[in-house]
Amino acid sequence: MIDPLTSLIIGFSVILLLVIIFYPGKGLVARFKKNKANTYRVLIEDSLKHLYNCEYNGINCTLNSIAGSLSISADEAAKVAAKLEELGLVVSNENGLSLTPDGRAYALKVIRIHRLWEKYLADETSIGEEDWHHSAEEIEHQMTLAEADKLAAQIGNPVFDPHGDPIPTAKGDLPGKKGKSLDSMKIGEFAKIIHIEDEPHYIYSQLVAEGLYPGMQVQLIESTKERIKFLANGEEVVLAPLFAKNITVAPIKDERKIEGTFKKLSSLKPGEKGKVLGISRRCRGQQRRRLMDLGVVPGTEIEVELESIGGDPIAYRIKGATIALRKSQAENIYIESEE
Amino acid sequence: MNVMMKDNCETCPVHNLGNLKKLGINMNDFDFVVALAGNPNTGKSTVFNNLTGLKQHTGNWPGKTVTRAEGGFEYNGFKFKLVDLPGTYSLLSTSTDEEVARDFILFGQPDVTVIVVDATRLERNLNLVLQVLEITDRAVLCLNLIDEAERHKIKVDERQLSKDLGIPVIPTAARLKTGMDKLSNAIYEVASGKYVCKPYRIKTKIKELNYAIETLSKKISEVYPQVTNVRWIALRLLEGDQSIIDAVKSGDLGTIKEIKHEIDGQSLETELTA
Amino acid sequence: MDNKGSNGREEILELANNLRWEIGVDFHDKLMESIYENAATIAARSVSTPDKEAVFSFDKKLDKILTSPVFGFPIMFVVLAVVFWLTVVGANYPSSFLASILIDEFHPVLKSFSLSIGFPGWLSGLLIDGGYLSMAWVIAVMLPPMAIFFPLFTLLEDFGYLPRVAFNMDNLYKKAGAHGKQALTMAMGFGCNAAGVIASRVIDSPRERLIAIITNNFSLCNGRWPTQILIATIFIGGAVPAYLAGIVSAAAVVGIAVLGVVLSLIVSWTLSKTVLKGEASAFSLELPPYRPPRILQTLYTSLIDRTLIVLWRAVVFAFPAGLVIWLVANVNIGGESIASVFINWSDPFAILLGLNGVILLAYIIAIPANEIVIPTILMLTVLVTGLTDFGHGTGVMFEANSTEVTAEILKAGGWTLLTGVNLMIFSLLHNPCSTTLLTIFKETRSVKWTVVSALLPLALGFTVTFFVAQIWRLIAGF
Ligand SMILES: Nc1nc2c(ncn2[C@@H]2O[C@H](COP(=O)(O)OP(=O)(O)OP(=O)(O)O)[C@@H](O)[C@H]2O)c(=O)[nH]1
Ligand SMILES: [Mg+2]
Repeated sequence: MIDPLTSLIIGFSVILLLVIIFYPGKGLVARFKKNKANTYRVLIEDSLKHLYNCEYNGINCTLNSIAGSLSISADEAAKVAAKLEELGLVVSNENGLSLTPDGRAYALKVIRIHRLWEKYLADETSIGEEDWHHSAEEIEHQMTLAEADKLAAQIGNPVFDPHGDPIPTAKGDLPGKKGKSLDSMKIGEFAKIIHIEDEPHYIYSQLVAEGLYPGMQVQLIESTKERIKFLANGEEVVLAPLFAKNITVAPIKDERKIEGTFKKLSSLKPGEKGKVLGISRRCRGQQRRRLMDLGVVPGTEIEVELESIGGDPIAYRIKGATIALRKSQAENIYIESEE
Repeated sequence: MNVMMKDNCETCPVHNLGNLKKLGINMNDFDFVVALAGNPNTGKSTVFNNLTGLKQHTGNWPGKTVTRAEGGFEYNGFKFKLVDLPGTYSLLSTSTDEEVARDFILFGQPDVTVIVVDATRLERNLNLVLQVLEITDRAVLCLNLIDEAERHKIKVDERQLSKDLGIPVIPTAARLKTGMDKLSNAIYEVASGKYVCKPYRIKTKIKELNYAIETLSKKISEVYPQVTNVRWIALRLLEGDQSIIDAVKSGDLGTIKEIKHEIDGQSLETELTA
Repeated sequence: MDNKGSNGREEILELANNLRWEIGVDFHDKLMESIYENAATIAARSVSTPDKEAVFSFDKKLDKILTSPVFGFPIMFVVLAVVFWLTVVGANYPSSFLASILIDEFHPVLKSFSLSIGFPGWLSGLLIDGGYLSMAWVIAVMLPPMAIFFPLFTLLEDFGYLPRVAFNMDNLYKKAGAHGKQALTMAMGFGCNAAGVIASRVIDSPRERLIAIITNNFSLCNGRWPTQILIATIFIGGAVPAYLAGIVSAAAVVGIAVLGVVLSLIVSWTLSKTVLKGEASAFSLELPPYRPPRILQTLYTSLIDRTLIVLWRAVVFAFPAGLVIWLVANVNIGGESIASVFINWSDPFAILLGLNGVILLAYIIAIPANEIVIPTILMLTVLVTGLTDFGHGTGVMFEANSTEVTAEILKAGGWTLLTGVNLMIFSLLHNPCSTTLLTIFKETRSVKWTVVSALLPLALGFTVTFFVAQIWRLIAGF
């Protein structure tokens, strides 16, 4: 028999080794997966996407902008562009580079997969929004169109991604741009966020950190060269104009325009009542559908009925049934209090 | 179906207890298929057990039934196949846990859909009722747990409700086995066409929604003049339902009766259900 | 059929898409809002409630008590304790009754009958000593507790108490990344893991449901309690002064069960943070109104049902397992039975874990049913040690008449206190029985999660027993 000390040491080492290899995010396996990306195909597809974005937004595209957006050297960008021309996906003219019909179709395919995947992650998984983009950047180069169609069918053929961007159809149709940027709003004007641009990443993550997402009601308070101040679902947000440009808004149609701060269901005390104004867009997918199925729709009266021992979850009386919701859910339900 | 030939019972007393025969699982060559739909925990399985004499699991806990179960009963000389479905809150979402019920009501094409509702929470249950009425025009509302409603002093005017919804409304207390005969009679009347339903259709005040539904419905009727529940098809297309998209694409929409979706034929789950 | 052909069809789909883009993301929300508006209008016309406060006032009062900070937990513990107590005490008599009928009385009758009609010895050994006996054990051990435990649980369910327990426990389970209802599936797991896995259906959030299914095995099921009690009595009770023996061994068994609960929470947390991090999660918990349970009907359905399951399990899983066990013990290769070959081969590894080859083999061939682990271990121990005056002959499973005899056999097989402790740990932490595995597969429809559910507790079991054994030896100094 091996003596206990030796075997203990062996035992601990084996466990340590396994941890090093499999540790999520930082382990060897995870690192290996990360490094596999950035191949030739990726460069081609990313530049097509970039060119398409320029076209969609009516900007000119150059080798430099490609190099910038893909973070590669100008030399490499030139090589990629040459290859694209050779494949008949791009032509160069006096304004720089532009897509051929084939190139556009290819770009749309990649965009379709990207946006579908983001939508899938947002609705059908618990992966946080800061990780969607990154994951979609990988998947878009791996998935085939047929797989994407299957995925789309499973999640109800969505037409918008979670940032509010339209998803191209399988045939490559895409509607034109809608709405205007937040910084062009008038003081006191009401509008709804319909889109938040997810590139560049540092701006997007700042906007996410501010708690902004498509579907929010905004009202402009102040607009100067230095800063733009507005209410988003009743909470004050201050952004630099450059950042505000990345937010697209559209006029509010049928919904009620709500002045002042939004009250949350979680703020009610036992015995208090409120009337639902809406569910925050932050609550998505199954969770959102479930809430609506349970009767949490605008106009529904909700009363706090019972607090559990730790104060979370809390049971609410909703349309005659007693339904327990966790605090994190109640925070996503906006209400107006009722006397 | 040879309804008219067998229909020699115009004069029978309506509430004839002797007419109801429990057939258990012996249900070869039935005349009608009846689906039991409803929100979770409204007593569907209890109704099912009462009518068929079987022992499906029941329990005061939403989500008791998860696969469909089948059984049979005979009424007025007709054989009915009864299908107990898992409870659903809605037919509009794309969530998979409600697939079994959704697919059966949509594609199984039951001759009659019995919607079992909880009389103590009618408003919440009507959500599903209204959705079912968009799909089918042959339905019966089983106003169950009426004993509970009485206990809590809630009154439901079933005539008013029946008038508003355009379908028969039968108050029952499945657990006490009351109202079962009236229920089977209503099922029989709707199945045989004696009672013609005029189902309520959802109205909306939201302009965009109306516009979208109307425009699309019009287009569908142009292409498929024979389809009756156009509005429902339009709703589903606007929700992006793949099975409806496929049906439109392949031209099967006109003959939707035949695309009996592949529904796992796990009849009679006598499995362990804790 | 359609006059416009495929052009018209494409037009429909295109139109639908354009309309969807126009409406924006809110279509479903707006539609639901409209439907509920319609529902409210219709309901208002036909429903009349007398005085809002009076409605459900009984339910409200009861809820206040059952979920109150003061009484909530005590009531819960008392209720669960009563259920367990009734099960344990109530199952004792029918269990020993069934055992005496099926094993002591009927087994010899079967044997002599087969002899009288001229069955060859190996055939009657295989079918009667192997298949029949193992089936009989499963029935005797499993049926009575199942037939008591589950009807009681069903009564609580029918009354509407269980969702309140889930409500009370959710805070704790939320911290472990799980759903409050897991408290209930876990409690059911103490009866039978397969039933616990099925009960996980009531958890309607995919991630939390998977967690509940995978961790259910950490609930010590009915089939494993007897092993725990027997081993604790012999080894742990035997290691302390006689007047403490009872209480200490009982504490050890409860300790193992609690360890299981704690581990299930830790594993739930880990799963939710790693492998299952991405799975969708949606919490909702409805507290249905209280309804008086229908006692007789519930007892009847539940009883018939459990009996059927146990019988089915006995025939489908235990019988074949019995055949294998008999074969392993009675078929010889090169003068040695397969069993001894395997035991000798696996002994060094098993000893690293503080167990022995007999235990490993018993757990492998008794995968179908944990209930037959002890009879198999006794039979195998007798087989390898060559003891002669026990049981019904070589290669026949048996249970000793008394704890003392069992102790004597096991000690002759070289068992120490460490073996006892580690067997108790291993009985908690090993792969689920095959019924449970099959159920997991049926419920998840996924080979991957079934494999994870099998290997995760096993890996944990190997790890824990290994470290316990090594540290024990280090401290004990040999
Ligand atoms: N008082 C009373 N209780 C009833 C009645 N009908 C059903 N119940 C009880 O309500 C509970 C739910 O009944 P089920 O038949 O399991 O309900 P279900 O609709 O099949 O539920 P799911 O399968 O979960 O969708 C059980 O406890 C029944 O005993 C009734 O008419 N009156
Ligand atoms: Mg049911």
